[in-house]
Amino acid sequence: MGKAQLIRGLQIVAAILIVVLVVGLYKAKSDASRADAHVRQLHQTIAETEASNRALNAEIAHLESPAHVEQLAQEHLDVAPGAQSAALPERTMANRLPAPRERQTHP
Amino acid sequence: MRPVGPTHAFAADRSFGAEVAEAAPARHRVRFLAIGLLIALALLSARAIQLAFSGDPTAERRGGFAAAQVERADIVDRNGVLLATTVRAFTLTAIPERVWNPPETAAALARLFPDMNRGMVMRRLSDRSRDLVFLRRGLTPNQREAVLSLGLAGIGFAPEDRRVYPQGTLAAHALGFTNVDRHALAGVELGLDDQIRRAGTEGRPVRLSIDVRIQYALETELDSAARGAHAASGAAILLDGRTGETLALASWPTFDANEFAGASENVRTDRVAGDVHELGSTLKPFTEAMALQERLTTSGELFDLSQPFVVDGNAIVDDERILGPSTLRDILAHSSNIGAARLALRLGGERQRAYLARLGLLAQPSLELARSQAPIAPLARTRRDIAGLGFGYGLAATPASLAGAYTVFANNGARVAPTLLMRTPDARATRTPVFSPAVTQQVLSYMRSVVTDGTGRAADVPGIAMAGKTGTAEKLGDETYAENHNFSSFAGVFPATNPRYVIFLALDDTGEGAAGGAVAAPAVARTLRRIAPMLGLRVEPRAPSP
Repeated sequence: MGKAQLIRGLQIVAAILIVVLVVGLYKAKSDASRADAHVRQLHQTIAETEASNRALNAEIAHLESPAHVEQLAQEHLDVAPGAQSAALPERTMANRLPAPRERQTHP
Repeated sequence: MRPVGPTHAFAADRSFGAEVAEAAPARHRVRFLAIGLLIALALLSARAIQLAFSGDPTAERRGGFAAAQVERADIVDRNGVLLATTVRAFTLTAIPERVWNPPETAAALARLFPDMNRGMVMRRLSDRSRDLVFLRRGLTPNQREAVLSLGLAGIGFAPEDRRVYPQGTLAAHALGFTNVDRHALAGVELGLDDQIRRAGTEGRPVRLSIDVRIQYALETELDSAARGAHAASGAAILLDGRTGETLALASWPTFDANEFAGASENVRTDRVAGDVHELGSTLKPFTEAMALQERLTTSGELFDLSQPFVVDGNAIVDDERILGPSTLRDILAHSSNIGAARLALRLGGERQRAYLARLGLLAQPSLELARSQAPIAPLARTRRDIAGLGFGYGLAATPASLAGAYTVFANNGARVAPTLLMRTPDARATRTPVFSPAVTQQVLSYMRSVVTDGTGRAADVPGIAMAGKTGTAEKLGDETYAENHNFSSFAGVFPATNPRYVIFLALDDTGEGAAGGAVAAPAVARTLRRIAPMLGLRVEPRAPSP
């Protein structure tokens, strides 16, 4: 192989390498750009989910607040804090419990 | 230099040789260019290989997304219950050019937000010189939906963050609040501002020592007592006396931290660390402890308290005359001003002040709140001043400071500074020795007598050995103390058998006859009945009335 051919061959290889590198770089950049957009979107989604979570946690904390629970207990269970029922002697508890059901007998 | 090409040639070849000779520099240039390109390619390849094998270049960036960062951290109680957080809110905006009918738009918005200034909205919507105008801040998602459902042209929203307090009025004074730009204005929001911001960037909450269940019980009982006694204001605090952790602190009247702008300055004032009062007889246990510590008296000494005690021409009297020889126990149980004044005079002003300083009563309270009121503690120069200090006059301090001083009874005579931050289990609180364990135990037994046989009987809760002291300090009017304006309080330590918790409850500006034992002590007992199970204590049940 002559010197000129060698140089030409090298030039062709170099040209191919340049083309490959340029195309590869373009692809890498476009992939990175797409990935970056995806990451940004994910980040946005995380932030929104986080914001929703925070709002939900605040709502839960409000619904579980002692004042709210006490109000519900009074409305639905007729139980008030510090009521006499909370400190009944053991012997008097039976009076507050529902009467035992009588066993049903079949004729 | 050897010529390029053959040395002997024909004429035609000679001309070719000349061309060859001319082309030689060009070939050199091409060769240099090729070599340069190769070097550049080699460098690029090397860099590509380096990038390919040098790990994940985006790793650091991805790591940055891991923790959700917020400007201000959540504030939670000792059990992780949410007290303050930051949620997404919206600013109501408008593009005036796109608003079809400003009067109708303003009317529709005013129907949705009755407190909105319709005139101001009209002006802004009609101002076509501006690209964008802001109409209202801090809209909730529901309010945003409501505005959207109106279908108003030119109306939009800009997202923003808003600080909310899910527990509403609960611990409002302690938590404080921020403005719409989330700049702290009061409470721990301001007192712990740096810490809250730092925790926000680290994605972790700030944990307070408060327990919302205990806080709620204390607040509701304080509210009930203050209304019942027609008080102008009230304060209460419950400490873990061993660690100094504040389990609950309440001020009355209260307000909703989410709507703080609607509350007056008086309502927003924190009464626990931001308001000072002459504390009255709740200081008497310290007077006795000082005298015992300095060996100026003994438990067996008998006092004659039947006659007024005249100091510098002023007669010190007791509310109820105490007949017969009395002991230190009697002085405390019946809250004798005469006995406390005598002990204070034996002690002298200098020693008295040194003890008060060690008890933390001459310094600002240590709670991490925005406003900590310094005490008003002038030097006791006369015998009358020293005697007055013995039963709680001439020194105005905060309820937080007094509660801190009472921690000596939970620590064998050493004081622990109160804190609003939860301590880790292995953390050791700083203790300031004030009294010896023997003196502390002795005074504690006298304080137990106050509750079993003395002025604080209403604070007694079966099963929980409460030891404490009532206080009824007349408030200073223009020039004299007024009998019908009292600062009525009860300070206690429980269980007396193994003291751990400190409680102080006070009602300000109660009427004549509304003594601490009559209005504050019962509220303490009611609170204890409610919170005892939360503290692992057992209330003995009362037999049901027949």
